[in-house]
Amino acid sequence: MTNPARHDLDQLLAAWAQARRLPDADAERIRQAIIPPVPALEASWWSELNSKLSTAITRATAIPGPALAALQ
Amino acid sequence: MPPSRDDAAVFTRIFDRHHHAVYAYLLGRLSDPELSRDLLQETFLRVWRRLSELAPLPDARQRAWIFTVARNLAIDSYRVSAARQAAEAELHHQAATQPTTVPGPHQHAEFAERLAQLDAAIRHLPEEQRVILSMATAGGLTSRQIGEALGEPAGTIRYRLSQARKQLAGALDLEDEP
Repeated sequence: MTNPARHDLDQLLAAWAQARRLPDADAERIRQAIIPPVPALEASWWSELNSKLSTAITRATAIPGPALAALQ
Repeated sequence: MPPSRDDAAVFTRIFDRHHHAVYAYLLGRLSDPELSRDLLQETFLRVWRRLSELAPLPDARQRAWIFTVARNLAIDSYRVSAARQAAEAELHHQAATQPTTVPGPHQHAEFAERLAQLDAAIRHLPEEQRVILSMATAGGLTSRQIGEALGEPAGTIRYRLSQARKQLAGALDLEDEP
């Protein structure tokens, strides 16, 4: 059987602990103050990536010169 | 070298796992929320700077490392500013003059009053008991985890917690029999 007085102390301690916890917003402010900003990607990275991919695909799928000559 | 997104993610995991307990420890020792927040930030700034060494360690060793830093910072803060005496004097004054109002709108006045009594009683606990009680309740650590963090056997932690509870029960006219 639960001792009511013990339950009372547990309940009070739980409420006390809740009031003493660091609020999440404060924790997040501290975390953000510590981590330096990660450098952002340059605005042109996507178009540069697309351009490189297109070039690679074109090269990989082009018919080699000798093969083309043989076909003609 | 700028931090990578991976570094930030690793740091965030460590921060999320330990910050409540470290704050509870600092608050238990210093009884000063603002100073505790400052030292929490300083503690984790050092974590950030040593992230590559700390990240591969198992959880218990990470915790021990972080609490060693926090403990040293707390000791330094005593030395530099004598903050402990000033804070405790202020807190004793506060405890005597203004009851702490804690949770919300539905809290009964009687419960709030009991909570204020508990708060005052905790402030009067010996520091070693107050710290452990804070780590166990506000920090959510087990006796074993507190022992690992402070370099004490879990049995010693359990004993001190039990002593703290007895003192609090006595101060609040409660019986705290196991």
